[in-house]
Amino acid sequence: MTIKNKLTGAIAAVVALAGSGAPVLAEGELNILTWEGYADTSFIAPFEAASGCKVSATYVGSNDDFAPKLAAGGGVFDLVSPAIDSTAPLIAAGFVQPIDTARLSRWGEVYDKFRSAEGINADGKVFGVPFSWGAIAFMYLADKFPTPPTSIAALWDPELTGHVSLWDDKSAIYVAARLNGDMDIYNLSDEQIAAAQAKLLAQKPLIRKYWSTAGELVDLYKSGEIWISNTWAGYQSGLLKAEGVDVREFIPTENAEGWVDNWMIVKDTPNEDCAYKFLEMAISEEGQCGMSAITGYSAANPVAAKACMTPEQYAALHQDDPAYLDSLLLWENLGPRLNVYANAWNAVKSQ
Amino acid sequence: MTLPLPLRVRKALVLSPPLIWVVLFMFVPYTILFVFSFWQQQYPTFTPALQLGNYQTLISDPQYLRTLLRTIKIAALVSLFSLLLAYPYAYFLVHKVRRPALRQTLYMAVVAPLWVSYLLRAYTWKTILGTEGILNSFLISTGILTEPSPIFLYNQTSMVVTLTYVFIPFMVMPIYAALEKIPRNLLEASADLGMGRTATFLKVTLPLSLTGVVAGFTMTFCLAFGDFIAAYLVGGPDGMMISNVIATQFGASLNWPLGSALALVMLVIVLAIISVSDRFERLGKGAFA
Repeated sequence: MTIKNKLTGAIAAVVALAGSGAPVLAEGELNILTWEGYADTSFIAPFEAASGCKVSATYVGSNDDFAPKLAAGGGVFDLVSPAIDSTAPLIAAGFVQPIDTARLSRWGEVYDKFRSAEGINADGKVFGVPFSWGAIAFMYLADKFPTPPTSIAALWDPELTGHVSLWDDKSAIYVAARLNGDMDIYNLSDEQIAAAQAKLLAQKPLIRKYWSTAGELVDLYKSGEIWISNTWAGYQSGLLKAEGVDVREFIPTENAEGWVDNWMIVKDTPNEDCAYKFLEMAISEEGQCGMSAITGYSAANPVAAKACMTPEQYAALHQDDPAYLDSLLLWENLGPRLNVYANAWNAVKSQ
Repeated sequence: MTLPLPLRVRKALVLSPPLIWVVLFMFVPYTILFVFSFWQQQYPTFTPALQLGNYQTLISDPQYLRTLLRTIKIAALVSLFSLLLAYPYAYFLVHKVRRPALRQTLYMAVVAPLWVSYLLRAYTWKTILGTEGILNSFLISTGILTEPSPIFLYNQTSMVVTLTYVFIPFMVMPIYAALEKIPRNLLEASADLGMGRTATFLKVTLPLSLTGVVAGFTMTFCLAFGDFIAAYLVGGPDGMMISNVIATQFGASLNWPLGSALALVMLVIVLAIISVSDRFERLGKGAFA
């Protein structure tokens, strides 16, 4: 995938150079640490041609990869794209620098809720540019459920023993806590976390496999191993439908978590100009619809999204539905409590 | 023309590349790990300290001991099954296959998979053992099963199978080498003295090949002990190994101090096993050489 992307990117660049008639040297470069669909050639190649900034992407498999990669140092990356629950530690640790939003002409169009989010604002400065958002929905194989599931409890149904999967992430604690009726999932007490841990232990015999990457979840459904799981809404279901697997997503009565991914500039990057050019592209039509087309995620700039999406797509991605966005339990940074959550989840897996 | 360099300088020149290598890639990283293991986790990352809290956590929180014991169990099973498969195979190659070309081919058949990516080989087992995999299709077509069984994949058995397959060359190679080195006249002498095949095997061949067995056992055990890919690819919800825990501490939990302490505990276990096996091998040489 990466090599193919790079190849097509290189070919596109060569074609662009040939087209312009004169050999133009790249004006700058940009090393980004991000999710796979966020550096897709379909919108990165035109950006490279227009800006003269050569983009090299390194991919993460988890939001937990950003801080360790930056903590290891080396000054390799210029831009990173963590979700809203992983941004605060990067700011607190001084890994990222403030963003001059005046340099972004489309900044004012991004959803207020995202721009004012606690996770990207500190000391009166902005540290992140919201890019995409979505829900951690649930998903099932249509032909295995004559009556569609509506509750998280379906993942604890003994009838489904050996056919359940859950994301290998601290969010498993969020899921179990909601099943217990503890809805303030980002401020759970020790007792509530212990109760969630017990619920997850009780669920263990039903679990076929905990999934860690998008590709793995797709494989598990495709090879008939699992029938129900949680999912990054839009993404894996899109991949599965393309493979002819009939899966359906649902938001359970216990509600779903929501996430927003944000671009952040790594402190003291030597490629600041290219970074701002990239951010400008990211929240304009090219970046917003380019990202949506590849990942199936919703766009952070509804104005740009409206301009480049079909009305059906715009509605399907809940871009016109502020109530949907407000209903999601938007991820929060857990601060010093992160370790308690992570530890509880590790304890479940160690059994 | 050029004056010969003094002996000490020449010695230093010859020795320095490996020495620099060892210092740079062994000594320095392990020292850093050792220092880290006394540090303290503090939001958002961790701070320097000198305390034993990380080691206390490893003892007081049962999840670490549990995972460690599971890892030892899986590694021991992998070594045992590798031995049970590799010894007869190597014996067959050395004593039963007469044509050197055929022997070479059969030997390479075991060793050649080492040149294929480990990930690819582990991944192959998913397609074999899966619910809609090759094994299930075969069992259904032969009528042994009426519907696909999920019991072959995503559990500790599938991890042992995969790891045994992946690491078995490290058992075959030393045993083959040990068996091949046994002088034939010893076996003939044993037969001349009226010993049967079984007695010759138990009193001559087996003791003389023990060094190979110990070397193979050590290698497969240590490799399986440190593995974390099998748990990820073919392990089930109860498949977490100690290396997976270390990876989590360095990643998701961002608790490098605890991860370092765990890594050091692991290192001590591996070193202990290697020194015990070293003693075994020397014992073997002393007794039979």
